[in-house]
Amino acid sequence: MATRNRTLIFRKYRDALKSVRVPASSSSASASSAVAGTSSGGGPVIEMVSASLLHPNRSYAPLSTEDPGNSSKGAVTVGLPPAWVDVSEEIAANVQRARTKMAELAKAHAKALMPSFGDGKEDQRNIEALTHEITNLLKKSEKRLQQLSAAGRSEDSNVRKNVQRSLATDLQNLSMELRKKQSTYLKRLRQQKEEGQDGVDIEMNLNGNRSKAEDDDLDDMVFNEHQMAKLKRSEAFTVEREREIQQVVESVNELAQIMKDLSVLVIDQGTIVDRIDYNIQNVATTVEEGLKQLQKAERTQKQGGMVMCATVLVIMCFVMLALLILKEILF
Amino acid sequence: MVLVSAVRDYVNRMLQDISGMKVLILDSQTVSIVSVVYSQSELLQKEVFLVELIDSISKSKESMSHLKAVYFLRPTSENIQHMRRQLSNPRFGEYHLFFSNMLKDTQIHLLADSDEQEVVQQLQEFYADFIAVDPYHFTLNMPSNHHYMLPAVVDPSSLQHFCDRAVDGIGALFLALKRRPIIRYSRTSDIAKRIAQETAKLMYQQESGLFDFRRMEMSPLLLIVDRRDDPVTPLLNQWTYQAMVHELIGIQDNKVDLRSISNLPKDQQEVVLSSEQDAFFQANMYENFGDIGMNIKRMVDDFQQVAKSNQNIQTIEDMAKFVDNYPEYRKMHGNVSKHVTLVTEMSKIVEERKLMLVSETEQELACNGGQVAAFEAVTNLLNNESISDVDRLRLVMLYALRYEKESPVQLMQLFNKLASRSAKYKPGLVQFLLKQAGVDKRTSDLYGNRDLLNIARNMARGLKGVENVYTQHQPLLFQTMESITKGRLRDVDYPCVGNHFQQGRPQEVVVFIVGGTTYEESRFVALQNASNSGIRFILGGSAVLNSKRFLKDLEEAQRIARTSSSVV
Repeated sequence: MATRNRTLIFRKYRDALKSVRVPASSSSASASSAVAGTSSGGGPVIEMVSASLLHPNRSYAPLSTEDPGNSSKGAVTVGLPPAWVDVSEEIAANVQRARTKMAELAKAHAKALMPSFGDGKEDQRNIEALTHEITNLLKKSEKRLQQLSAAGRSEDSNVRKNVQRSLATDLQNLSMELRKKQSTYLKRLRQQKEEGQDGVDIEMNLNGNRSKAEDDDLDDMVFNEHQMAKLKRSEAFTVEREREIQQVVESVNELAQIMKDLSVLVIDQGTIVDRIDYNIQNVATTVEEGLKQLQKAERTQKQGGMVMCATVLVIMCFVMLALLILKEILF
Repeated sequence: MVLVSAVRDYVNRMLQDISGMKVLILDSQTVSIVSVVYSQSELLQKEVFLVELIDSISKSKESMSHLKAVYFLRPTSENIQHMRRQLSNPRFGEYHLFFSNMLKDTQIHLLADSDEQEVVQQLQEFYADFIAVDPYHFTLNMPSNHHYMLPAVVDPSSLQHFCDRAVDGIGALFLALKRRPIIRYSRTSDIAKRIAQETAKLMYQQESGLFDFRRMEMSPLLLIVDRRDDPVTPLLNQWTYQAMVHELIGIQDNKVDLRSISNLPKDQQEVVLSSEQDAFFQANMYENFGDIGMNIKRMVDDFQQVAKSNQNIQTIEDMAKFVDNYPEYRKMHGNVSKHVTLVTEMSKIVEERKLMLVSETEQELACNGGQVAAFEAVTNLLNNESISDVDRLRLVMLYALRYEKESPVQLMQLFNKLASRSAKYKPGLVQFLLKQAGVDKRTSDLYGNRDLLNIARNMARGLKGVENVYTQHQPLLFQTMESITKGRLRDVDYPCVGNHFQQGRPQEVVVFIVGGTTYEESRFVALQNASNSGIRFILGGSAVLNSKRFLKDLEEAQRIARTSSSVV
């Protein structure tokens, strides 16, 4: 696809026209513009603030009110972004951290599923710890996300809403990924346990068969022992299974809660809400409506009885005061 | 994919090199251009957190210097004025300006003059100046489309404006495709000739450097035709999904506005019909109404199965699976309700207006012969009380277009009957249509009854029988495409501009219909492209017509013609 870059021509014209205009005169202006020039390349405000500190004899004037005729290089207030941007950056950092932890978790899952000689308890603990960390990160991010909601209908609130939406989509995707990983891991784990358990069952069947071939007396004793052993083993299994199920239930609950909260914020792709022109229209109508409401409120407030009463009372006060003074003077 | 991906590439390139939080500022035309190819969620992924129109952004004085502004505008004088005002009081940290077409030097001067604070970081021309509604169909969405019907003397400035917009759009299209075409136009149409000549001047003389692309063996072909060569297609009622929705309800920039229908839940009042985002729509947009009904029923059954399994949650695993699949489920639910609502609404309209009956006669008028039978059918329908006025008007128009010369007496009878039945639609409109698009004015053989070969072909088709009476009509465009495919586009009917001649068959053809395209024609183009004939067709027009819009254009043109003739 063809494009044409007109920036060079534009800059040429701009410079030519600049020299035609009133040239920059005062040295302070040129000094400030020199300093501003270094930071006009998108640097943070800190440089600008230090600029004003370096010139203590200059009264601190916000740079935006500089005479446009005198300023040459970007003396636009590259102002501090509003405070909520910090919140959004924090959430974005959390999301990034959660992503790296998920990669670690995937590795830990793979390791735990491999047949090993050890107990596997350490792997389990590692996995549990990672899962908890990630879930905590997600929960924390989601709580902070609620803080981004803004009231009011300014452009800034639109930006906030959109930032919130974008972060909500990221969080939702992450939580879904986590759930998928967990469920596949548990499925594979259960498969493995079943295989192991089959072996145990066969063992138990063999023992059962053998016990039937023994004498009756020995039968009872052996049977009791086998029974006890079987009971103990199945009890251990049940306990462990229950614990796993408990874990799953907990994580399902937590993540379901997160997803429910997030689904309100996330845009459904392919619907009308995902259309740019629909969002612009809505903004326009709500802004207009908001303006109408404000005007109406202003009018009613102006006409409001309260204002009338207040003014009447104040006038009465003054009148009374005047009368009092008159009384004092005359008598 | 080619048109949609071209515009998407432009938007991607605009946003990719700029880091940090951005605000995207568009004008009323570029909003449509961007909205049909890019979604809000994709913008959010590119860190564009605010989208505004350029008129509304001038009203606010909030300074948001932590945002970088990306402007994408058409290079009109109003937009340049807006830009000048905004550059003299900059609100944002950086300004990146992109224009959808070529800027004049004076405009760059003006912008440079107002950029005293030097906030503009780049100024580029990105030629996305057309609305890519479908992969091979674009439109220019011109608001006053009717000017093409009027002679130049009536309103020369509006006509010049119309031509300029058309030339801009066509030029931008070829710049986006990086090709320079051979230009042919429809002989009998003055406006087609004018647009063709101005486009040739632009591409070969004024900006020949910009258009000087690497020559492939075969230059593409740009064919500019006039809507009035085929006035039948926009008047017909449609029975394939996309065309039918546009005809009965109306599609604007791939959105359908259902707010006039009562009792709809809030999220179904405006819906999106885009083949890119909706797989069901992509599979069914060219199917006829009966097949759509069956496919929708199948979709609803599938959905009900999923819904039932979601309700049957007994174990924890089922719960987990439900939570996993919930977003998919919700999306499916929304999609199903959208299509069911549309089809229900259309069935209702078909019932009310007795469109099955009307459309049968319409198709007969458009395709087959038999003047006597046609006259009888039209008279019966005119007498029928339950037919709406606009349908009666359309029937008389279709009859008049076909049997204009054959029996004037009967034609007058029909006019009188129409006038007596519907006070709103004066027969003068039909006569205006005949003056614009009558047999003498049309270039090609619309009904296939001018030369022996076409008559023979029609007879053969009649003998073979048709699959579906309601979709038997083939627009003139189809025959034009066939002639191009066989390399037999007559020079007499479609002369070339300049002395560039076409040897053999082109591999890419862009057909631009002055006055507007229809979804029926875009369907034929898509099906032709899918048949792998070796030629890729792209269709575009000044608007996308349905019968309501076409009639409105006729009325507007008639009104202006009448007032101007009364002045003169």
